[in-house]
Amino acid sequence: MAKEEKKQRDPDITFFHPDLLEVPEDCSSPFLKGYRCKSCGQLDFPNLNPCPNCWGEEFEIVPLSRRGKLYSYADIFIGQPGLQTPYIIGYVDLPENLRIFAMLDGEVGSFQCGEEVELTVGEIRKNRDGLPILSYKFKKVNG
Amino acid sequence: MKLPREVYIAGVGETVFGKRKEDFEILGRQAAFEAIKTSKIDRPDVIQSAYCGNATNGMVTGQTILKDIGLVGKASMVNVESACSAGAMAVHMAIKDVAYGITECSLGLGAENHTLHRETGTAFTPAMNDIETVHGAVMTGKYSMRATRYMYETGATIEDLAMITVKNRGHATNNPYAWFKGKVSVEEVVNSRMIAYPMTLHQCCGIADGAGAVVVCSKDMIKKLGVDKPVRVAGSVVTSGPYHNRPRDITGDDITEATSDLLYEQSGIGPEDVDIVELHDAFTIAELLYYECMRFCKRGEGLQFLRDGQSTHGGKCVFSARGGMLSYGHPIGASGAAQIAANVKQLRGECPGYQVEGAKVAMSHVTGGGLSGTEHAACTMHMLVRGW
Ligand SMILES: [Zn+2]
Repeated sequence: MAKEEKKQRDPDITFFHPDLLEVPEDCSSPFLKGYRCKSCGQLDFPNLNPCPNCWGEEFEIVPLSRRGKLYSYADIFIGQPGLQTPYIIGYVDLPENLRIFAMLDGEVGSFQCGEEVELTVGEIRKNRDGLPILSYKFKKVNG
Repeated sequence: MKLPREVYIAGVGETVFGKRKEDFEILGRQAAFEAIKTSKIDRPDVIQSAYCGNATNGMVTGQTILKDIGLVGKASMVNVESACSAGAMAVHMAIKDVAYGITECSLGLGAENHTLHRETGTAFTPAMNDIETVHGAVMTGKYSMRATRYMYETGATIEDLAMITVKNRGHATNNPYAWFKGKVSVEEVVNSRMIAYPMTLHQCCGIADGAGAVVVCSKDMIKKLGVDKPVRVAGSVVTSGPYHNRPRDITGDDITEATSDLLYEQSGIGPEDVDIVELHDAFTIAELLYYECMRFCKRGEGLQFLRDGQSTHGGKCVFSARGGMLSYGHPIGASGAAQIAANVKQLRGECPGYQVEGAKVAMSHVTGGGLSGTEHAACTMHMLVRGW
């Protein structure tokens, strides 16, 4: 959390957040970074350090599945101050038994509980300089 | 765990809720002084400790509220913050002081003024250092996701959800402290402005200002003060929300389920004996889910419970008898204390036009805090019983 706070105070952030999301330079597909505890094997996203299960402090980074099931979602018409509406949020359940909260890319009224979605990278908000901040999002598989 | 000695409520106070020009300290003082006077306390040195719930109005809110009525310099004071749970948590702390014999008489209050201090037309958001908040989370959206999933699993409709608003505002029709009250149709609720599908404007609690206060005492002190309609605190429970980053069922609410069970155990009272519940109906879907979470009906039967009229006058238990947050609005640090104040008045038969006749047992519930990975950061519940 401390790291995220520091990032937030930095007015020039345009990527959120290197510990969560990898966008490879070789143009291969981006992925979310899971953290597997080296002492007890628990897999978490985001990274919890120390491991809340055993307080281990060493982790192996595991690329998470790029596709998951949309558990639920909401089309937001009155949102956070400064965010353009409408926008869509959702919970995506990955096969690794992890639930990801993320914005969804697509049209309001077009998503359904239980449908398959896949990882994408896009704008989640503007930074203080008015530049887009990029992060992980999910979209329809054929969208 | 049982309370180690009996605790009683001597008096309560609440302000009119709504958009108020008076700031939090004036509202808080008004509620506190009403609670003190209805406790038959006639001098400033009887109250030995005071707790003040507030979420957004700054530092030392308790002392700011209580200095002008002579309590500072006499009572110990602690200011309590846990988002929407703050007011009830302040009362819990006062109860604890009396229960453990630290004091004979304590005050718990909650006060908040939002509308003088915040931007309109935006939704409440958890802190910006929260991973979900950075990605657009708002409270309306989180409850909408619960509603959407509930509708997907049960076939409930937006009209079903709207019935909660219709019921609660109907309950509040003659309540002078409530803000939005009286007759409203399902159509009006459904057709009001869309906030986050399926939550329309009239399915969301208003952003309001107000205060509530509760004086708690030992049995000896109640007798000494000559309070003639004592209300006993049968249970008072505070919990923190478990962390999850794995798939789970959000049509349940782990923290409400756990806190209800602890309260039933502590008080020795089960849902079948409860006459009134004030719960965290910040959004319609919440009340519907909590019928089940609080064990008033089985899993999956909440909608039928509502449709059968079991949650209103003449049913199994009157939910949101004062009108709930959907009528009062929700000054987040105040609501929990105001719920308790309203329940005490009900148990004393002091609610003309919105009285639940013959009510003996009243329960209140308020969660708090949109923290990523938890359903809620906190939950506070109270069980009150009429008489000795
Ligand atoms: Zn571990």
